[in-house]
Amino acid sequence: MNRMLTVAEMTLRELLRRRGVLALMLLLPLTFYLIRRDAYVGQSVRSLMLGISWAVSTAALFATSAARELEPRLRLAGYGPRHLYLGRMLGLWAAGLAIALPFFLLVVFDAPNLRYGGVAAGMLCCVAIAPPLGMLIGALLPRELEGTLLLLVIVTVQMLIDPAGTGAKLTPFWSSREITTWAVDHTDGGYLARGSVHGVLVTVGMVLAVAAVFSVRLRRRRHLRHLPVG
Amino acid sequence: MNADEWLRAFAAELRQRRVRDDDARHVVAEAATHLRDGGGDPAVVFGLPGRYAAAIAESIGATPPPVPAAPGPVRLHARGITKRYGRRTVLRDAGLTVRAGQIAAIVGANGCGKSTFLRICAGLISPDAGEVTVTGRLGYCPQQGGTADFLLPDEHFVLVGAGGGLARGPARRAGRAAARKLGWDAPGDVLTRHLSGGTRQKLNLTMSTLTEPDVLLLDEPYQGFDRGTYVDFWDQLGRLRDAGRAIVVVTHLLNQLDRVDLVLDLTPAGGTVRDGDAGWGGRA
Repeated sequence: MNRMLTVAEMTLRELLRRRGVLALMLLLPLTFYLIRRDAYVGQSVRSLMLGISWAVSTAALFATSAARELEPRLRLAGYGPRHLYLGRMLGLWAAGLAIALPFFLLVVFDAPNLRYGGVAAGMLCCVAIAPPLGMLIGALLPRELEGTLLLLVIVTVQMLIDPAGTGAKLTPFWSSREITTWAVDHTDGGYLARGSVHGVLVTVGMVLAVAAVFSVRLRRRRHLRHLPVG
Repeated sequence: MNADEWLRAFAAELRQRRVRDDDARHVVAEAATHLRDGGGDPAVVFGLPGRYAAAIAESIGATPPPVPAAPGPVRLHARGITKRYGRRTVLRDAGLTVRAGQIAAIVGANGCGKSTFLRICAGLISPDAGEVTVTGRLGYCPQQGGTADFLLPDEHFVLVGAGGGLARGPARRAGRAAARKLGWDAPGDVLTRHLSGGTRQKLNLTMSTLTEPDVLLLDEPYQGFDRGTYVDFWDQLGRLRDAGRAIVVVTHLLNQLDRVDLVLDLTPAGGTVRDGDAGWGGRA
Protein backbone atom coordinates (compact mmCIF):
# COMPACT_ATOMS: atom_id res chain seq x y z
CA MET A 1 0.00 0.00 0.00
CA ASN A 2 2.87 2.35 0.84
CA ARG A 3 4.38 1.77 -2.61
CA MET A 4 1.09 2.54 -4.32
CA LEU A 5 0.57 5.70 -2.30
CA THR A 6 4.14 6.83 -2.99
CA VAL A 7 3.54 6.52 -6.74
CA ALA A 8 0.23 8.39 -6.36
CA GLU A 9 1.93 11.15 -4.40
CA MET A 10 4.73 11.55 -6.94
CA THR A 11 2.22 11.61 -9.80
CA LEU A 12 0.37 14.44 -8.07
CA ARG A 13 3.57 16.31 -7.26
CA GLU A 14 4.71 16.14 -10.88
CA LEU A 15 1.35 17.40 -12.12
CA LEU A 16 1.05 20.20 -9.58
CA ARG A 17 4.48 21.53 -10.55
CA ARG A 18 3.44 21.91 -14.18
CA ARG A 19 1.56 25.14 -13.66
CA GLY A 20 1.12 25.82 -17.37
CA VAL A 21 -0.44 22.39 -17.81
CA LEU A 22 -2.71 22.96 -14.82
CA ALA A 23 -3.86 26.31 -16.22
CA LEU A 24 -4.67 24.70 -19.56
CA MET A 25 -6.44 21.82 -17.82
CA LEU A 26 -8.71 24.40 -16.22
CA LEU A 27 -9.02 26.52 -19.34
CA LEU A 28 -10.21 23.64 -21.51
CA PRO A 29 -13.40 22.81 -19.57
CA LEU A 30 -14.02 26.49 -18.92
CA THR A 31 -13.93 27.21 -22.64
CA PHE A 32 -16.31 24.32 -23.30
CA TYR A 33 -18.65 25.74 -20.67
CA LEU A 34 -18.55 29.38 -21.74
CA ILE A 35 -18.68 28.91 -25.52
CA ARG A 36 -22.42 28.10 -25.45
CA ARG A 37 -23.29 29.84 -22.20
CA ASP A 38 -25.43 32.51 -23.89
CA ALA A 39 -27.79 29.80 -25.15
CA TYR A 40 -29.21 26.82 -23.24
CA VAL A 41 -27.30 26.21 -20.00
CA GLY A 42 -27.91 22.48 -20.18
CA GLN A 43 -25.81 22.25 -23.32
CA SER A 44 -23.05 24.21 -21.56
CA VAL A 45 -23.02 21.72 -18.71
CA ARG A 46 -22.87 18.78 -21.11
CA SER A 47 -19.96 20.42 -22.93
CA LEU A 48 -18.27 21.08 -19.60
CA MET A 49 -18.35 17.34 -18.88
CA LEU A 50 -16.62 16.67 -22.16
CA GLY A 51 -14.02 19.33 -21.41
CA ILE A 52 -13.22 17.80 -18.02
CA SER A 53 -12.99 14.33 -19.57
CA TRP A 54 -10.66 15.55 -22.29
CA ALA A 55 -8.41 17.53 -19.95
CA VAL A 56 -7.99 14.70 -17.43
CA SER A 57 -7.50 11.95 -20.00
CA THR A 58 -4.88 14.05 -21.80
CA ALA A 59 -3.04 14.59 -18.51
CA ALA A 60 -3.18 10.82 -17.91
CA LEU A 61 -1.87 10.10 -21.39
CA PHE A 62 1.13 12.37 -20.96
CA ALA A 63 1.84 11.20 -17.40
CA THR A 64 1.91 7.62 -18.67
CA SER A 65 4.20 8.47 -21.57
CA ALA A 66 6.55 10.42 -19.30
CA ALA A 67 6.83 7.47 -16.90
CA ARG A 68 7.61 4.92 -19.62
CA GLU A 69 11.39 5.01 -19.01
CA LEU A 70 11.10 5.23 -15.24
CA GLU A 71 8.67 2.37 -14.65
CA PRO A 72 10.93 -0.56 -15.65
CA ARG A 73 13.58 0.55 -13.17
CA LEU A 74 10.96 1.01 -10.46
CA ARG A 75 9.88 -2.52 -11.25
CA LEU A 76 13.47 -3.64 -10.59
CA ALA A 77 13.50 -1.56 -7.40
CA GLY A 78 10.72 -3.72 -5.96
CA TYR A 79 7.45 -2.38 -7.33
CA GLY A 80 4.85 -4.70 -8.78
CA PRO A 81 2.90 -3.66 -11.90
CA ARG A 82 -0.21 -3.02 -9.79
CA HIS A 83 1.67 -0.59 -7.54
CA LEU A 84 2.64 1.40 -10.60
CA TYR A 85 -0.63 1.56 -12.53
CA LEU A 86 -2.94 1.79 -9.52
CA GLY A 87 -0.70 4.37 -7.84
CA ARG A 88 -0.63 6.51 -10.97
CA MET A 89 -4.36 6.12 -11.38
CA LEU A 90 -4.97 7.14 -7.76
CA GLY A 91 -2.91 10.28 -8.27
CA LEU A 92 -4.76 11.12 -11.48
CA TRP A 93 -8.15 10.48 -9.88
CA ALA A 94 -7.21 12.93 -7.12
CA ALA A 95 -6.06 15.47 -9.71
CA GLY A 96 -9.29 14.96 -11.66
CA LEU A 97 -11.37 15.64 -8.57
CA ALA A 98 -9.37 18.79 -7.90
CA ILE A 99 -10.02 19.94 -11.49
CA ALA A 100 -13.73 19.10 -11.37
CA LEU A 101 -14.53 20.70 -8.01
CA PRO A 102 -14.27 24.38 -9.08
CA PHE A 103 -16.43 23.64 -12.12
CA PHE A 104 -19.06 21.99 -9.95
CA LEU A 105 -19.14 25.15 -7.82
CA LEU A 106 -19.32 27.25 -11.00
CA VAL A 107 -22.40 25.33 -12.15
CA VAL A 108 -24.01 25.56 -8.72
CA PHE A 109 -23.64 29.33 -8.64
CA ASP A 110 -24.13 30.05 -12.34
CA ALA A 111 -26.87 27.67 -13.47
CA PRO A 112 -30.11 27.64 -11.47
CA ASN A 113 -32.71 24.91 -11.20
CA LEU A 114 -30.54 21.90 -11.98
CA ARG A 115 -30.29 18.58 -10.19
CA TYR A 116 -26.87 19.31 -8.70
CA GLY A 117 -26.46 15.79 -7.38
CA GLY A 118 -26.73 14.64 -10.97
CA VAL A 119 -24.17 17.21 -12.10
CA ALA A 120 -21.79 15.90 -9.43
CA ALA A 121 -22.45 12.30 -10.46
CA GLY A 122 -21.80 13.15 -14.12
CA MET A 123 -18.52 14.78 -13.19
CA LEU A 124 -17.57 11.77 -11.07
CA CYS A 125 -18.09 9.53 -14.09
CA CYS A 126 -15.80 11.77 -16.16
CA VAL A 127 -13.14 11.81 -13.45
CA ALA A 128 -13.39 8.04 -12.90
CA ILE A 129 -13.12 7.08 -16.57
CA ALA A 130 -10.66 9.68 -17.93
CA PRO A 131 -7.47 8.53 -16.09
CA PRO A 132 -7.67 4.84 -17.08
CA LEU A 133 -8.65 5.86 -20.62
CA GLY A 134 -5.62 8.15 -20.96
CA MET A 135 -3.35 5.59 -19.33
CA LEU A 136 -4.59 2.84 -21.62
CA ILE A 137 -3.87 4.91 -24.71
CA GLY A 138 -0.50 5.96 -23.30
CA ALA A 139 0.42 2.34 -22.59
CA LEU A 140 -0.68 1.06 -25.99
CA LEU A 141 0.79 3.88 -28.07
CA PRO A 142 4.34 4.67 -26.97
CA ARG A 143 4.55 8.00 -28.82
CA GLU A 144 2.67 10.99 -27.46
CA LEU A 145 1.60 12.36 -30.85
CA GLU A 146 -0.18 9.15 -31.84
CA GLY A 147 -1.80 8.94 -28.42
CA THR A 148 -2.99 12.54 -28.56
CA LEU A 149 -4.49 12.05 -32.01
CA LEU A 150 -6.31 8.89 -30.93
CA LEU A 151 -7.69 10.71 -27.91
CA LEU A 152 -8.83 13.49 -30.22
CA VAL A 153 -10.66 10.95 -32.37
CA ILE A 154 -12.41 9.49 -29.32
CA VAL A 155 -13.47 12.87 -27.98
CA THR A 156 -14.65 14.03 -31.42
CA VAL A 157 -16.76 10.91 -31.85
CA GLN A 158 -18.12 11.42 -28.36
CA MET A 159 -19.00 15.01 -29.20
CA LEU A 160 -20.65 14.42 -32.57
CA ILE A 161 -22.36 11.04 -32.27
CA ASP A 162 -26.11 10.86 -31.80
CA PRO A 163 -26.48 10.13 -28.06
CA ALA A 164 -29.71 8.21 -28.65
CA GLY A 165 -28.07 5.83 -31.15
CA THR A 166 -26.71 2.42 -30.23
CA GLY A 167 -23.18 3.37 -31.17
CA ALA A 168 -23.13 6.13 -28.55
CA LYS A 169 -23.19 3.51 -25.81
CA LEU A 170 -19.79 2.33 -27.00
CA THR A 171 -18.22 5.71 -26.37
CA PRO A 172 -16.47 5.99 -22.99
CA PHE A 173 -18.22 9.06 -21.63
CA TRP A 174 -21.80 8.26 -22.63
CA SER A 175 -22.59 7.76 -18.94
CA SER A 176 -21.84 11.34 -18.01
CA ARG A 177 -23.99 12.58 -20.89
CA GLU A 178 -26.97 10.48 -19.76
CA ILE A 179 -26.62 11.52 -16.13
CA THR A 180 -26.14 15.17 -17.10
CA THR A 181 -29.27 15.03 -19.27
CA TRP A 182 -31.15 13.79 -16.22
CA ALA A 183 -29.64 16.64 -14.18
CA VAL A 184 -30.24 19.52 -16.59
CA ASP A 185 -33.34 18.46 -18.56
CA HIS A 186 -35.15 16.89 -15.59
CA THR A 187 -35.80 13.71 -17.56
CA ASP A 188 -37.02 10.45 -16.01
CA GLY A 189 -34.86 8.31 -13.75
CA GLY A 190 -34.01 5.92 -16.55
CA TYR A 191 -31.31 8.30 -17.73
CA LEU A 192 -29.70 8.30 -14.30
CA ALA A 193 -29.90 4.52 -13.96
CA ARG A 194 -28.57 3.81 -17.46
CA GLY A 195 -25.80 6.36 -17.03
CA SER A 196 -24.77 5.04 -13.63
CA VAL A 197 -24.59 1.43 -14.81
CA HIS A 198 -22.64 2.48 -17.92
CA GLY A 199 -20.26 4.58 -15.84
CA VAL A 200 -19.50 1.76 -13.42
CA LEU A 201 -19.07 -0.81 -16.18
CA VAL A 202 -16.80 1.41 -18.28
CA THR A 203 -14.71 2.39 -15.26
CA VAL A 204 -14.23 -1.23 -14.20
CA GLY A 205 -13.55 -2.27 -17.79
CA MET A 206 -10.98 0.46 -18.30
CA VAL A 207 -9.19 -0.34 -15.05
CA LEU A 208 -9.06 -4.03 -15.96
CA ALA A 209 -7.75 -3.18 -19.44
CA VAL A 210 -5.04 -0.96 -17.93
CA ALA A 211 -4.17 -3.76 -15.49
CA ALA A 212 -3.86 -6.24 -18.34
CA VAL A 213 -1.70 -4.00 -20.53
CA PHE A 214 0.62 -2.93 -17.70
CA SER A 215 0.94 -6.49 -16.41
CA VAL A 216 2.09 -7.61 -19.84
CA ARG A 217 4.37 -4.63 -20.45
CA LEU A 218 6.02 -4.84 -17.02
CA ARG A 219 5.94 -8.62 -16.74
CA ARG A 220 8.78 -10.68 -15.39
CA ARG A 221 10.45 -12.12 -18.47
CA ARG A 222 10.64 -15.87 -18.75
CA HIS A 223 14.31 -15.97 -19.70
CA LEU A 224 15.28 -14.33 -16.39
CA ARG A 225 15.48 -16.51 -13.31
CA HIS A 226 15.91 -14.92 -9.88
CA LEU A 227 17.55 -16.84 -7.07
CA PRO A 228 17.85 -15.67 -3.48
CA VAL A 229 21.27 -14.91 -2.05
CA GLY A 230 22.18 -17.68 0.19
CA MET B 1 39.64 25.56 -15.70
CA ASN B 2 39.04 27.75 -12.64
CA ALA B 3 40.65 27.19 -9.25
CA ASP B 4 37.75 25.16 -7.81
CA GLU B 5 37.60 22.86 -10.82
CA TRP B 6 41.35 22.42 -10.79
CA LEU B 7 41.36 21.57 -7.07
CA ARG B 8 38.56 19.07 -7.56
CA ALA B 9 40.35 17.39 -10.44
CA PHE B 10 43.57 17.41 -8.42
CA ALA B 11 41.86 15.76 -5.43
CA ALA B 12 40.38 13.13 -7.72
CA GLU B 13 43.77 12.42 -9.28
CA LEU B 14 45.31 12.01 -5.83
CA ARG B 15 42.60 9.53 -4.90
CA GLN B 16 43.15 7.63 -8.11
CA ARG B 17 46.85 7.38 -7.24
CA ARG B 18 45.89 6.08 -3.80
CA VAL B 19 47.52 8.92 -1.88
CA ARG B 20 46.46 8.52 1.75
CA ASP B 21 43.29 10.50 2.56
CA ASP B 22 44.94 12.63 5.25
CA ASP B 23 47.91 13.44 3.00
CA ALA B 24 45.62 14.25 0.08
CA ARG B 25 43.47 16.59 2.18
CA HIS B 26 46.58 18.32 3.44
CA VAL B 27 48.06 18.78 -0.04
CA VAL B 28 44.80 20.03 -1.54
CA ALA B 29 44.35 22.49 1.34
CA GLU B 30 47.87 23.78 0.80
CA ALA B 31 47.28 24.23 -2.90
CA ALA B 32 43.98 26.01 -2.22
CA THR B 33 45.67 28.39 0.23
CA HIS B 34 48.42 29.06 -2.26
CA LEU B 35 45.94 29.86 -5.03
CA ARG B 36 43.82 32.04 -2.75
CA ASP B 37 46.76 34.04 -1.47
CA GLY B 38 48.82 34.21 -4.64
CA GLY B 39 46.13 34.07 -7.30
CA GLY B 40 46.96 33.07 -10.85
CA ASP B 41 45.86 30.32 -13.16
CA PRO B 42 46.31 26.98 -11.32
CA ALA B 43 47.33 25.30 -14.59
CA VAL B 44 50.19 27.78 -14.81
CA VAL B 45 51.05 27.75 -11.10
CA PHE B 46 50.96 23.97 -10.61
CA GLY B 47 50.55 22.50 -14.08
CA LEU B 48 47.97 19.89 -15.08
CA PRO B 49 46.18 18.25 -12.11
CA GLY B 50 47.22 14.77 -13.21
CA ARG B 51 50.90 15.61 -13.53
CA TYR B 52 51.04 17.48 -10.25
CA ALA B 53 49.20 14.63 -8.50
CA ALA B 54 51.64 12.13 -10.01
CA ALA B 55 54.56 14.16 -8.68
CA ILE B 56 52.98 14.38 -5.23
CA ALA B 57 52.22 10.66 -5.18
CA GLU B 58 55.81 9.86 -6.09
CA SER B 59 57.21 12.13 -3.40
CA ILE B 60 54.98 11.15 -0.46
CA GLY B 61 54.04 7.63 -1.46
CA ALA B 62 50.69 5.92 -1.75
CA THR B 63 48.75 3.27 0.09
CA PRO B 64 49.35 -0.19 -1.30
CA PRO B 65 46.48 -1.51 -3.39
CA PRO B 66 44.14 -3.69 -1.37
CA VAL B 67 44.65 -7.36 -1.70
CA PRO B 68 41.63 -8.51 -3.59
CA ALA B 69 39.45 -11.14 -2.05
CA ALA B 70 38.84 -14.24 -4.07
CA PRO B 71 35.80 -13.86 -6.30
CA GLY B 72 32.64 -14.94 -4.54
CA PRO B 73 29.72 -17.02 -5.76
CA VAL B 74 28.18 -16.48 -9.18
CA ARG B 75 25.71 -13.60 -9.14
CA LEU B 76 24.94 -13.23 -12.85
CA HIS B 77 25.00 -16.02 -15.38
CA ALA B 78 23.85 -15.32 -18.93
CA ARG B 79 24.22 -17.98 -21.58
CA GLY B 80 23.25 -18.53 -25.19
CA ILE B 81 21.78 -15.05 -25.56
CA THR B 82 20.57 -14.47 -29.10
CA LYS B 83 18.58 -11.45 -30.18
CA ARG B 84 17.26 -10.51 -33.61
CA TYR B 85 15.59 -7.33 -34.76
CA GLY B 86 13.82 -8.37 -37.93
CA ARG B 87 16.36 -10.14 -40.11
CA ARG B 88 19.30 -8.60 -38.33
CA THR B 89 20.92 -10.70 -35.63
CA VAL B 90 22.30 -8.35 -33.02
CA LEU B 91 23.50 -10.94 -30.54
CA ARG B 92 24.43 -14.52 -31.29
CA ASP B 93 25.00 -17.00 -28.48
CA ALA B 94 26.50 -14.39 -26.14
CA GLY B 95 27.24 -15.27 -22.53
CA LEU B 96 28.73 -13.82 -19.39
CA THR B 97 29.30 -15.03 -15.85
CA VAL B 98 30.04 -12.50 -13.13
CA ARG B 99 30.80 -13.38 -9.53
CA ALA B 100 30.37 -11.37 -6.36
CA GLY B 101 33.30 -8.95 -6.11
CA GLN B 102 33.90 -8.68 -9.84
CA ILE B 103 33.48 -5.91 -12.39
CA ALA B 104 32.77 -6.95 -15.97
CA ALA B 105 32.95 -4.57 -18.91
CA ILE B 106 30.91 -5.03 -22.07
CA VAL B 107 32.68 -3.46 -25.01
CA GLY B 108 32.24 -3.36 -28.75
CA ALA B 109 31.46 -1.11 -31.68
CA ASN B 110 28.33 0.99 -31.95
CA GLY B 111 25.27 -1.12 -32.64
CA CYS B 112 26.89 -4.43 -31.68
CA GLY B 113 24.26 -5.07 -29.00
CA LYS B 114 25.93 -3.94 -25.76
CA SER B 115 22.88 -2.16 -24.40
CA THR B 116 20.59 -4.88 -25.73
CA PHE B 117 22.62 -7.51 -23.86
CA LEU B 118 22.41 -5.47 -20.66
CA ARG B 119 18.66 -4.91 -21.02
CA ILE B 120 18.19 -8.64 -21.54
CA CYS B 121 20.20 -9.29 -18.36
CA ALA B 122 17.98 -6.77 -16.56
CA GLY B 123 14.84 -8.49 -17.85
CA LEU B 124 13.64 -5.40 -19.67
CA ILE B 125 13.48 -7.12 -23.05
CA SER B 126 13.29 -10.77 -24.02
CA PRO B 127 15.93 -12.58 -26.08
CA ASP B 128 15.05 -14.89 -28.93
CA ALA B 129 17.11 -17.56 -27.21
CA GLY B 130 19.13 -17.96 -24.04
CA GLU B 131 18.58 -17.48 -20.34
CA VAL B 132 19.85 -15.35 -17.50
CA THR B 133 20.11 -16.29 -13.84
CA VAL B 134 20.50 -13.51 -11.28
CA THR B 135 21.23 -14.26 -7.66
CA GLY B 136 20.06 -11.51 -5.33
CA ARG B 137 18.68 -8.07 -5.95
CA LEU B 138 19.19 -6.43 -9.32
CA GLY B 139 19.96 -2.75 -10.00
CA TYR B 140 20.01 -1.10 -13.42
CA CYS B 141 21.16 2.32 -14.62
CA PRO B 142 20.12 3.25 -18.16
CA GLN B 143 22.23 5.22 -20.59
CA GLN B 144 19.80 8.11 -20.39
CA GLY B 145 16.27 8.78 -19.19
CA GLY B 146 14.94 6.89 -16.23
CA THR B 147 14.32 10.03 -14.16
CA ALA B 148 11.27 12.25 -13.77
CA ASP B 149 11.72 15.85 -14.91
CA PHE B 150 9.35 17.39 -12.39
CA LEU B 151 10.55 15.58 -9.27
CA LEU B 152 13.34 16.64 -6.93
CA PRO B 153 16.37 14.36 -6.43
CA ASP B 154 15.14 13.62 -2.89
CA GLU B 155 11.79 12.53 -4.26
CA HIS B 156 13.53 10.13 -6.62
CA PHE B 157 15.31 8.62 -3.62
CA VAL B 158 12.00 8.29 -1.76
CA LEU B 159 10.32 6.73 -4.80
CA VAL B 160 13.06 4.16 -5.40
CA GLY B 161 13.53 3.53 -1.68
CA ALA B 162 9.81 2.79 -1.18
CA GLY B 163 10.12 -0.03 -3.72
CA GLY B 164 12.67 -1.70 -1.48
CA GLY B 165 10.67 -1.00 1.69
CA LEU B 166 12.80 1.96 2.83
CA ALA B 167 11.07 4.71 4.81
CA ARG B 168 11.34 8.28 3.53
CA GLY B 169 14.00 9.55 5.90
CA PRO B 170 16.41 6.64 5.45
CA ALA B 171 15.83 6.67 1.66
CA ARG B 172 16.69 10.38 1.46
CA ARG B 173 19.77 9.91 3.64
CA ALA B 174 20.92 6.86 1.68
CA GLY B 175 20.44 8.70 -1.60
CA ARG B 176 22.34 11.76 -0.46
CA ALA B 177 25.16 9.63 0.94
CA ALA B 178 25.44 7.69 -2.34
CA ALA B 179 25.39 10.98 -4.29
CA ARG B 180 28.21 12.39 -2.16
CA LYS B 181 30.38 9.42 -3.11
CA LEU B 182 30.12 10.72 -6.68
CA GLY B 183 31.16 14.16 -5.50
CA TRP B 184 27.58 15.46 -5.75
CA ASP B 185 25.66 17.20 -2.98
CA ALA B 186 22.11 16.47 -4.09
CA PRO B 187 20.22 19.77 -3.77
CA GLY B 188 16.92 19.71 -1.93
CA ASP B 189 15.08 22.22 -4.10
CA VAL B 190 16.18 21.83 -7.74
CA LEU B 191 13.92 19.97 -10.13
CA THR B 192 15.56 17.23 -12.16
CA ARG B 193 14.81 19.05 -15.40
CA HIS B 194 17.06 21.88 -14.24
CA LEU B 195 20.03 19.56 -13.59
CA SER B 196 22.81 19.37 -16.16
CA GLY B 197 23.14 16.20 -18.22
CA GLY B 198 26.06 14.95 -16.14
CA THR B 199 24.32 15.68 -12.84
CA ARG B 200 21.20 13.93 -14.04
CA GLN B 201 23.33 10.89 -14.74
CA LYS B 202 24.70 11.09 -11.20
CA LEU B 203 21.10 10.98 -10.02
CA ASN B 204 20.47 8.03 -12.31
CA LEU B 205 23.47 6.19 -10.95
CA THR B 206 22.57 7.02 -7.36
CA MET B 207 19.09 5.62 -7.90
CA SER B 208 20.49 2.34 -9.16
CA THR B 209 22.69 1.82 -6.10
CA LEU B 210 20.18 3.05 -3.51
CA THR B 211 18.63 -0.32 -2.72
CA GLU B 212 22.06 -1.96 -2.42
CA PRO B 213 21.65 -4.43 -5.27
CA ASP B 214 23.76 -7.57 -5.40
CA VAL B 215 24.05 -7.27 -9.18
CA LEU B 216 24.49 -3.82 -10.69
CA LEU B 217 24.02 -3.29 -14.43
CA LEU B 218 25.28 0.06 -15.74
CA ASP B 219 24.74 1.18 -19.33
CA GLU B 220 27.38 3.83 -20.01
CA PRO B 221 26.28 5.74 -16.93
CA TYR B 222 29.00 8.36 -17.12
CA GLN B 223 27.60 10.40 -20.03
CA GLY B 224 28.33 14.06 -19.30
CA PHE B 225 30.57 13.39 -16.30
CA ASP B 226 33.49 15.74 -15.84
CA ARG B 227 36.92 14.20 -15.25
CA GLY B 228 36.72 14.37 -11.45
CA THR B 229 33.32 12.72 -11.36
CA TYR B 230 34.50 10.09 -13.80
CA VAL B 231 37.32 9.17 -11.42
CA ASP B 232 34.86 9.25 -8.50
CA PHE B 233 32.62 6.92 -10.47
CA TRP B 234 35.31 4.27 -10.87
CA ASP B 235 36.33 4.72 -7.25
CA GLN B 236 32.73 4.09 -6.25
CA LEU B 237 32.60 0.99 -8.43
CA GLY B 238 35.76 -0.20 -6.70
CA ARG B 239 34.15 0.22 -3.30
CA LEU B 240 31.03 -1.62 -4.44
CA ARG B 241 33.16 -4.44 -5.82
CA ASP B 242 35.09 -4.64 -2.57
CA ALA B 243 31.74 -4.85 -0.79
CA GLY B 244 30.96 -7.98 -2.80
CA ARG B 245 28.73 -6.60 -5.53
CA ALA B 246 28.79 -8.03 -9.04
CA ILE B 247 28.95 -5.17 -11.53
CA VAL B 248 28.53 -5.07 -15.29
CA VAL B 249 29.41 -1.85 -17.13
CA VAL B 250 28.80 -1.11 -20.78
CA THR B 251 31.68 1.10 -21.83
CA HIS B 252 33.31 2.67 -24.85
CA LEU B 253 36.26 3.96 -22.87
CA LEU B 254 38.86 1.28 -23.28
CA ASN B 255 41.39 3.05 -21.07
CA GLN B 256 39.30 2.02 -18.09
CA LEU B 257 39.55 -1.66 -18.83
CA ASP B 258 42.50 -1.94 -16.48
CA ARG B 259 39.98 -1.44 -13.71
CA VAL B 260 37.80 -4.41 -14.53
CA ASP B 261 38.08 -8.12 -13.96
CA LEU B 262 36.31 -9.40 -17.07
CA VAL B 263 35.74 -8.06 -20.55
CA LEU B 264 32.94 -9.22 -22.84
CA ASP B 265 33.72 -8.07 -26.37
CA LEU B 266 30.55 -8.09 -28.46
CA THR B 267 32.21 -6.96 -31.66
CA PRO B 268 30.85 -9.40 -34.27
CA ALA B 269 34.30 -10.81 -35.00
CA GLY B 270 35.08 -10.90 -31.29
CA GLY B 271 32.29 -12.24 -29.09
CA THR B 272 34.74 -13.34 -26.46
CA VAL B 273 35.12 -13.09 -22.72
CA ARG B 274 38.59 -12.40 -21.42
CA ASP B 275 40.14 -11.34 -18.15
CA GLY B 276 40.66 -7.66 -17.43
CA ASP B 277 44.15 -6.27 -17.27
CA ALA B 278 43.97 -6.24 -13.49
CA GLY B 279 45.83 -2.99 -13.01
CA TRP B 280 43.30 -1.84 -10.47
CA GLY B 281 42.10 -4.78 -8.51
CA GLY B 282 45.21 -6.87 -9.07
CA ARG B 283 43.23 -9.69 -10.60
CA ALA B 284 44.32 -11.30 -13.84
